[in-house]
Amino acid sequence: MNEHILVCLSSSPSNERVVRTAVRMASVFGSQLTALYVRTPDYETMDPEDRKRLEANIRIAEAAGAETVTTHGDDVPEQIAEYARLSGVTKIVIGISTVRRRRLLFRPSLTERLFELVPGIDIHVIPYTGTLDGYYGKKGTFKQSVLPSWKDMGITAALLAAATGIGLLFLKLGFTDANIITVYLLCVFLISILTKGYTCGAIGSFAGVILFNYFLTEPRLTLRAFGTGYPVTFAIMLAASITTSTLAAKLKAQAKLSAGDAFRTKLLFDTNRILQGAKDEKEILTITASRISKLLNVDTSVYFADESGLSSGMLFFAGREESENAPAEGSDFEAAQWAYSNKTQSGTGIKAHRSVKFVYTPIRAGDSVCGVLGIGAARRGTDTSEKGIVQSILGECGLALENLRNAKGREEAAVLAKNEQLRANLLRTISHDLRTPLTSISGNADTLLTNRAMFDDETTDRLLSDIRDDAEWLTGLVENLLSISKIGDGSIQLDVSDQIVEDVLEEALRHIDRGSAEHVIKLETGDKPMLARMDARLIIQVIVNLVNNAVKHTPDGSAITVRAVSDEKHAVISVSDTGKGIPDEWKGKVFEMFFTGDNDVGDSRRSMGLGLPLCRSILEAHGSGLILDDNVPSGCVFSFKLPLSEVDLNE
Amino acid sequence: MNKPLILVVEDDKPIRNLISATLKMHDYKFIAAENGSGAVLEASSHNPDIMLLDLGLPDMDGVEVIKRIRSWSGMPIIVISARSEDRDKIDALDSGADDYLTKPFSVEELLARIRVAQRRLSVIQTDKNAATSLFINGELKIDMAAGMVFLGDEPIHLTPIEYKLICLLAANVGKVLTHTFITQKVWGSSWENDIASLRVFMATLRKKLESNPDCKNCIQTHIGVGYRMIRIDPPDKE
Repeated sequence: MNEHILVCLSSSPSNERVVRTAVRMASVFGSQLTALYVRTPDYETMDPEDRKRLEANIRIAEAAGAETVTTHGDDVPEQIAEYARLSGVTKIVIGISTVRRRRLLFRPSLTERLFELVPGIDIHVIPYTGTLDGYYGKKGTFKQSVLPSWKDMGITAALLAAATGIGLLFLKLGFTDANIITVYLLCVFLISILTKGYTCGAIGSFAGVILFNYFLTEPRLTLRAFGTGYPVTFAIMLAASITTSTLAAKLKAQAKLSAGDAFRTKLLFDTNRILQGAKDEKEILTITASRISKLLNVDTSVYFADESGLSSGMLFFAGREESENAPAEGSDFEAAQWAYSNKTQSGTGIKAHRSVKFVYTPIRAGDSVCGVLGIGAARRGTDTSEKGIVQSILGECGLALENLRNAKGREEAAVLAKNEQLRANLLRTISHDLRTPLTSISGNADTLLTNRAMFDDETTDRLLSDIRDDAEWLTGLVENLLSISKIGDGSIQLDVSDQIVEDVLEEALRHIDRGSAEHVIKLETGDKPMLARMDARLIIQVIVNLVNNAVKHTPDGSAITVRAVSDEKHAVISVSDTGKGIPDEWKGKVFEMFFTGDNDVGDSRRSMGLGLPLCRSILEAHGSGLILDDNVPSGCVFSFKLPLSEVDLNE
Repeated sequence: MNKPLILVVEDDKPIRNLISATLKMHDYKFIAAENGSGAVLEASSHNPDIMLLDLGLPDMDGVEVIKRIRSWSGMPIIVISARSEDRDKIDALDSGADDYLTKPFSVEELLARIRVAQRRLSVIQTDKNAATSLFINGELKIDMAAGMVFLGDEPIHLTPIEYKLICLLAANVGKVLTHTFITQKVWGSSWENDIASLRVFMATLRKKLESNPDCKNCIQTHIGVGYRMIRIDPPDKE
């Protein structure tokens, strides 16, 4: 069974060791490695230093070939367990640091929860002996949450004042305390929704109870209360307030997370759709760069890699549609090169790259880097959600590249298999069919050499013409085989140029077999020269095959017409004969390799069944096709079209 | 007309025998060499009139042989090549060869090419004697001084480019001129568009000449290689 190792990422200094251990394990087991980061609401307030450490850890994992995944949620063990179950993870690697952190909050430790949640999965806990005091000190203080902004304080004060006002009004109207308490609860609830973090909610809860006591219970304007039930009322009110405020704040955080998730999902969906339309790696990279530029409103650049390294590149500017070619020199190019050859992100941290405008990230497809993407810092700093977006788009880009590679691989394999089969068929047929003419040539020549004196002139002539005919047949075969080797190996290299159709047809007719002497071959062309784009050698081969076919399959004296006419955009070339035509049941088969019609044709008319399939492949390589029609009143017409080309005459 | 001396350069014995037998049969004088250095040696010592040269020689490339011979001699060189690739022919022609023949070739084809070379030979010889401004080839007459072209007695109208082309072909009558050579001479450049233009101009020029049956095939098209004007009427024929 394949191992699948999951390593949990965190911003802790101990995490680097955890990641490296997981990487080592993955390479020992030869297993798949996934690095998971659970993004909690704390992420927003994370210390920059921690964030940097987290990103470094992510990069370590990526560099080792791990797939990195980010999920969102409050409950870290729950998220880890969920992912592990869904992705068929067999081993989880986790640091002990996270365990102690949770213990501070008097909850079962993360590992303990994990053991409960995923009993079937091995969990490897990596201890850390270094000191983490500073790290946890920071974690515990909730720096930003403790000190809410002035705006939040204002909102809190205003709402509390309003609640107290309403309370006073209710008191005047003679409503019971219960109503007033409800107003305060509502007030705390609103505070929690309208302010950031938990602090204002908590302050509001306490302040509400105090204000209620001070203004709205007898004796008023004191903190004492006469009623015996009031302490209990205050306690319950405080508890209700705090619960409400915590819940509301949590709800808000969740809503924000899921809104972010929805946005990202939509973004990824769109990106994915656009990337699906891309035809090659270059296009995928270009789309990625232009999309990041558009979405984040930053300048981006992309450099494409080929066998020799980074070559050309493109620049995209924030808020502009057009792109430019990126210079293949200068410090930016060097930084891109650096990122390419080291397979890691370049940054301003490297001295030589201080003047570089972009941060370059290598983009991998499989094992190789197929390009480098540069993201400019148009605005100061990049906030976390934007970084997430970039990560997601890059992920999509990588996926698209991989898909492209896989598709290409499959296609190549299919073509290879087909070619192999074709080659095998070809060799078998050729070696068999070559023997006949070769036997005849050497046999006849031998006879003539040894017994010449015994033959009369007529016999000698017959033997000699047999030798010649067989040699000519072999010549034709060799021509076809040469063309097949040009077409058949999957890498069709057409040598196209603009040719005068009439010239090509005339040239082709010069190569017709001698056997055609008894046939009437006519060439019909228009008055105006037609210029068409083609590989002249191969098209000549097509005409020669079609005419030779017509000669072979029609009785002596038949008329064969080679005609070239133009419709608006094409030269239509046809070869027609007045033979007995092709039976309908053969019409589909004549284009198949090694189809030779009824095989009882005499030896002098043998055919290898290569001509028409070759003609068709040649025309298909030209983006055209070979059409077979019946001639009227009898015979058949083979025709094909070639695009007419326009030329600016250099007068 | 004297039968010329022909140098046959061919490393393959059966083909050399075939060519030798054919030449002997038609009363040509000939000498044979079986490699490149032998060819250069024979050419310099016997000063043949025409050379039949196989491109695939064991010791040096045929194109190299052409270049060496061209350093002192303008004799017509007919290249014989088993390679069907146009590129090789073009290289040979651009290095100074006059004509080419692709294996397998027929004996008649070979003799026809030798006759063309013979006529070219006489052109080279007569040109040496008389630098004339009048070019006459059968019914085709070019009066370079007047800038006029006649078919029989009829003047034909040519565009400036067509006139340039026909003069270029006439000046090299009997020699296959490659597309590159012609476009370089006429346009000074050799882009793909020039070659496409050349094909169109040649097609219209040929159409104009075809109106006279005597000139029907006086310009040959060599697909993928170039063009040649054929000498229709040997000038030394009385």
